[in-house]
Amino acid sequence: MSTATTPAPAAASESRRNLARDLFSSDRPYGVLLALIALVVFFSIKSDVFFTSANLQNIGRQTTLVTIMAVGMTFVIIAAEIDLSVASILKLSCVSAALFMNDFSNNWFLGAMVGVAVGAFIGLVNGLLTTKLGIPSFLVTLGMLGVAKGIAFVVTDTAPVLVDSRPFWAVFYEGSIAGIPVPILWTIVALLIGGVLLHFSTFGRKVYATGGNATAARYSGINTDRTKILCFVFTGVLAGLASLIFTAQGHAARPDFADGLELDVIAAVILGGTSLFGGRGSIIGTLIGSLIIGVLNNGLVLIGVSSSWQIAVKGFIIILAVALSKRR
Amino acid sequence: MTTAQPLVDLRDITVSFGAVKALRGVSFDLRPGEVHALLGQNGAGKSTLIKVLSGVNQRDGGTVLVHGKETNFKSAQDSRDSGIAMVYQDLSLVPSMSVASNLFLGREPHGGTRLVRNRSIVHAAQKYLTEQGFPIKASARVGALPFAYRQLTEIAKALMGDIRILVLDEPTSALSAGEEEILFKTVADVTERGVGVIYVTHRLHEVFRISDRVSVLRDGLNVGTHNTSDITMDKLVSEIVGPGHERMAQATLSVEEGDRRSAFRDESSESSTHAPVIELRGVTNARLKGVDLKVRPGEILGLAGMVGSGRTEILETMFGLRRADEGEVLFEGKPVRWGSPHQAIAAGVALVPEDRHEQGLVLADTIAANIAMPRLPQLTRAGAFTKGEANRRAKKAVSDLNVRAPGIQTKLQNLSGGNQQKVVFGKWLTPEPKLLLLDEPSVGVDVGARDEIYGIIRGFARNGCAVVVVSSELVELQLLCDTLAVIHDGRVTTRVHTSEVEGEERLHHLVQEPAR
Ligand SMILES: Nc1ncnc2c1ncn2[C@@H]1O[C@H](COP(=O)(O)OP(=O)(O)OP(=O)(O)O)[C@@H](O)[C@H]1O
Ligand SMILES: [Mg+2]
Repeated sequence: MSTATTPAPAAASESRRNLARDLFSSDRPYGVLLALIALVVFFSIKSDVFFTSANLQNIGRQTTLVTIMAVGMTFVIIAAEIDLSVASILKLSCVSAALFMNDFSNNWFLGAMVGVAVGAFIGLVNGLLTTKLGIPSFLVTLGMLGVAKGIAFVVTDTAPVLVDSRPFWAVFYEGSIAGIPVPILWTIVALLIGGVLLHFSTFGRKVYATGGNATAARYSGINTDRTKILCFVFTGVLAGLASLIFTAQGHAARPDFADGLELDVIAAVILGGTSLFGGRGSIIGTLIGSLIIGVLNNGLVLIGVSSSWQIAVKGFIIILAVALSKRR
Repeated sequence: MTTAQPLVDLRDITVSFGAVKALRGVSFDLRPGEVHALLGQNGAGKSTLIKVLSGVNQRDGGTVLVHGKETNFKSAQDSRDSGIAMVYQDLSLVPSMSVASNLFLGREPHGGTRLVRNRSIVHAAQKYLTEQGFPIKASARVGALPFAYRQLTEIAKALMGDIRILVLDEPTSALSAGEEEILFKTVADVTERGVGVIYVTHRLHEVFRISDRVSVLRDGLNVGTHNTSDITMDKLVSEIVGPGHERMAQATLSVEEGDRRSAFRDESSESSTHAPVIELRGVTNARLKGVDLKVRPGEILGLAGMVGSGRTEILETMFGLRRADEGEVLFEGKPVRWGSPHQAIAAGVALVPEDRHEQGLVLADTIAANIAMPRLPQLTRAGAFTKGEANRRAKKAVSDLNVRAPGIQTKLQNLSGGNQQKVVFGKWLTPEPKLLLLDEPSVGVDVGARDEIYGIIRGFARNGCAVVVVSSELVELQLLCDTLAVIHDGRVTTRVHTSEVEGEERLHHLVQEPAR
């Protein structure tokens, strides 16, 4: 009865459309893509240095921390949770890695592993508290924001911990492969892993289902608690990775930096079309969202907006971009 | 009465959603004091038409006259202000709030201050519910109510205030006979006062019972409008299914008339010799008080009982959603203590839950993604999601169940209610489960598709699947099941072979007056 009215689209074009749909997810961040292009054009006109390869690399480097953490945050938000503690995870991870390298072993690899492990552990705690005790993740991670930051301050006396390891600097910040600086390469690695996990793995399907309707997901045999925990752990791991880049950049772990970075991270994810209510979003969107944040941070400085105004203008443009992307 | 000005006059309404033409010029009118039934297959455009009336959907063309004046409602609030009350197919209550708060949502009575007084609204709501004969506690949290009671709450909410037009979109889909009576009485009361009622349903016997006129839609077009007294069930069915579907019309009629001797019933169940697939022994938990049940391969067992008797909880216990505090659950002869559905699913159990929006579907996801959901472990190769295989299964389910949709990448929220229900069922088609648990499996499914679903269930049973069906429609149980268990207050009170129960009346008595 229904087949008569159901057109059968050509298989090839359908699969091509499906691929496009996967990459851009169902939520087409075209609106924000336009916003990004508009910003780039605007800054290029206003500033001679903006659209130079040196400055574009700058933007890539400056956006690294936000983008890498935003990849993890995309998972958490699609699963209908939130992680406000990413900046604090970054602080505690970098402090742990630096202290370990100073006090135990100067092996840069072990140090890096410690940083990532601390991030994963905090993510695990966030996930367990959220799922097993049923505390909303907003509260759990708001608490964790204070706890992790506080511990990072205590163990360092709020002073920077120097890291004196050339290979560490090189691997995480100063080196380059084929002319591309490593921070940008790390960003690409995070984006690729995140993209494959979210859009091509079974785990990604579970994340969407859990965020789209947790009850229905559970009734379909999806372990929603474990799915959410893994999202938090993944975010923790990526915050740990970001902390290494951050440390290598300044040759020191600085617990007093990166305050409020979680807001840039969340803004990047939401700008990219991921729904705060869960169930929808994409990695490509998140990349575009982070680039908008990065372009704004960089461009506003270049055209000489005062730092106080930068904050206000950035907030305004974020709201504008989301509003534009809501319209069809 | 025919001379009176119609309350509602819809003329040549067209609505499209992107490329989908949901309505292609439909006309419909409603007179004061009448019940006008609106029929048609899943996806015919019934819900869309009434959403145009209420302002939820915007029309592309045509005119809407209400009380003789051309109107253009922009929102449900607008239409409500003109005295139009709606009960949507998919519930629109706030589950975390009490019945009373839901009833008064948006029209809270308040004193001089703007503060809402909780005690007084519970009191007022309870008074109203009791007067109208609704067996619901005003202080209960909506989310904790059985689905049928949520549906009644929705109806009670629509009836509050000064209404002139009442629109009911499949209001009885989860109601059993007793609760249905409450609704019919209410409908009779309001029509007495001159209120016009638009009544959408797939249960054709209701049409003959309460409607004055009936209109049929097919593929977004009018097929016909008749006085109910001038039309027969046969004629109605053939209008609904359309020309060239005589076989389906035949099956439909047999479903409607509860003809158990129709073509597809398998009387040859020698299943009793096999060991049970699942067995509950003295299972006791929050809602069950010592349930003993066995279901053998190839057996279709029906659970009959009132709303709240524990039927759903028995299914939930078999599906790992509830544990047995006392007693034990044996699956294929071995005791199991499943703590969550994924263990039950891995063992070969499937559940079609009663609330498709809450428990069955991710509405923002596609048909393909929803159908893949319970089978993710099998659709994984080295961690990767095997999209090709998932799509193949989805296509098969869509064609087996006649899901009316542009393609498998259509999102569930863009399907009609009955087609969504088919997808909930379609999630479990491949591979065939060993134990299939069905909680109101045909809610909102049109009569033709219902027959297909019955056919699939019987096919599973023939292949050795054990099936447990909960249904408020006793006819459905009699049609489908080999054996019946009557559930009352968390216990199995009676177990009979379907063939021992003569007629729906007899079963009705069994359910209403359980053996003590
Ligand atoms: N929001 C939407 N977006 C796209 N298509 C839609 C949307 N809502 C409905 N449709 C389509 O419009 C058609 C009519 O749907 P409608 O809900 O009116 O059917 P119905 O007659 O109420 O069916 P049912 O008996 O299953 O409830 C269907 O083909 C459906 O897929
Ligand atoms: Mg409908």
